[in-house]
Amino acid sequence: MTNGLVLAILGAALAALLAGIGSAKGVGLVGEAAAGVVSVDPSKFSKVLILQLLPGTQGLYGLLTAILMLSRIGVIGSGAAELTTAQGWSFFIAALPIAVVGLISAVFQGKTAAAGVGITAKKPEHNGKGIIMAAMVETYAILALLVSILLIYNINI
Amino acid sequence: MGTKYANAVAAVRAMENSLLSRSDIEQLISSATRSELENIVAAKRGTGSEELTLEGVWDTLRGYAPDCRELEILLYRNDFHNLKAALKSMIAGKEPQGYYIRPTNLDLEALYPVLSAKEYEQLPEYISDTAAQAYELLTRTLDGQLADSLVDTACMKAMQAAAEKSGSDFMKKYAQLVTVCADIKTAYRCCRMKKQRSFIETAVCGSSGLDKEQLVRASLGGTEGLFSFLESTSWGDAARLLAESPAKFEKWCDDVIMELAEGARMQAFGADPLAAYFIAAEAELKNLRIITVCKESGTDRETITERMRKLYV
Repeated sequence: MTNGLVLAILGAALAALLAGIGSAKGVGLVGEAAAGVVSVDPSKFSKVLILQLLPGTQGLYGLLTAILMLSRIGVIGSGAAELTTAQGWSFFIAALPIAVVGLISAVFQGKTAAAGVGITAKKPEHNGKGIIMAAMVETYAILALLVSILLIYNINI
Repeated sequence: MGTKYANAVAAVRAMENSLLSRSDIEQLISSATRSELENIVAAKRGTGSEELTLEGVWDTLRGYAPDCRELEILLYRNDFHNLKAALKSMIAGKEPQGYYIRPTNLDLEALYPVLSAKEYEQLPEYISDTAAQAYELLTRTLDGQLADSLVDTACMKAMQAAAEKSGSDFMKKYAQLVTVCADIKTAYRCCRMKKQRSFIETAVCGSSGLDKEQLVRASLGGTEGLFSFLESTSWGDAARLLAESPAKFEKWCDDVIMELAEGARMQAFGADPLAAYFIAAEAELKNLRIITVCKESGTDRETITERMRKLYV
C-alpha cells in the first residue's frame, strides 16, 4: 500500500467521520428539544421529526463522499490503485470541504432546527418557517459536497 | 448560554400555549359567574389537565432542568418568608405549617425542628446566618417588625449575591428589579410611619439600581422628599404611580418584572425562558386571584381591567 493510498483513505474516513459527528450532534440537539415538546404535546411528533432529520443530511453527504472516493481509488470494486503521494494529498484535500463544512454546518443547523422546534411548539401553523430557516444552513453543506465531488472526479490517476 | 436546556425550553414553549392570553382575560372579566370563569379557564387548559399551581409549575421545571441552579433564586422570597413564619410560630408556640408558602427551596418539614434546635448550619448557606441573626434579634427585642426587616433585607442581598454568582444577566436584572421595588415600598412605608434612620437603614437593602444611602436620606425627608428623589432617578415612573396609589405601584412592580421576562421569549436555549415561564405563571395566578376577588366584591369591569398585570403571551 502506497503513502498516496493511505492519504486518500484517510481523507475518505475524515469525510465520513467529521460530517457524521456534526450530524450526530445536530440531530441529538434537535432530538432533545423535540422530546421536550412531545412530552407536553405528543400530537406534534411528526412536525418536530422533520426538523430533527435536517441536520442528519451532512452525515449522509460525508458517507456519499467517502464511498465515491473509495470507489474512485479502487478500494471498493476493481482493486486499490497505486497512488503517488501527490495524488493521495489531492484526494485528502478533496475530502476536506464536506468533512469540515459538514461538521460545522450540521452543528449550526441543529441549533437552528432546535429553535425551530420552539416555533412548532408555540405556533404549529408556522412550522414551515422553522424548516426553511434550518434548511438555509443546508445550502453550505450542499456546496461543500459539490466541491468535494468535483475534486474527486477531476484528480488524474 | 450555549445550547443548555434545549429540552426544557422546548417543553416550556409547548406549555406556554395553555397560558391565558389577553382575549382570555377579557372573557374572564366579562364572565358573570364564578362557574363561568372556571369553565373558561378549564377550556383553555384542556380537558384532563391539572389546575395551574406554582408548585406544579416549579416541579415541572425542575423535572426538565434539575441542575438549573439559577431558578432557585426565584424562590428566595418564599424561602425567607418561610423562615419568618417558622421563627414567629416558634416564639408564639404555634404550628407553622399553615403559614408556609410553597414552592420553596427549603425542606419545610425540617425547618421548624432545625430552628428549634438552633442547628442553623443545616440550612442552606444563603439563609443560615440570617436565621441565627433573626432568632437572636426576635428573642432579644420581641420586635417582629424589626426582625422582618432584617430577614427581608437579607433576602434581597442573598438574591443579588446568588444572581451575581450565577453570571446570568437575566437573574442579575431580576434581583435588581425585585430589590428596587422592595426598597421603594419599604422607604415609602417608613416615611408614612415616620420611622427613625436606624430602622430605615435596617429595612432598606440597596442595589446597583438604587443607592441605599441616598434612599435612606430621602426617606427621612418625608414622602415629598422621597418622591422628588425618585423623580431624579430612573424610577420616576414608579414614584408617580406610588404617589397616585400603592395599588398602581404594585402593578408597576409586577409589570417591570414581566417586561424582563418578555426578553426571554425569543431565546431557544438557556435558563432564562424557564425563569420567564415561572414568572408568567405567577402573573397569571395573580390575575386570576384579582379577577375572582374583584368579582366577589362587585368591582366594576374597568377597575378590574386596570388592575390586570401584564401577560407573557
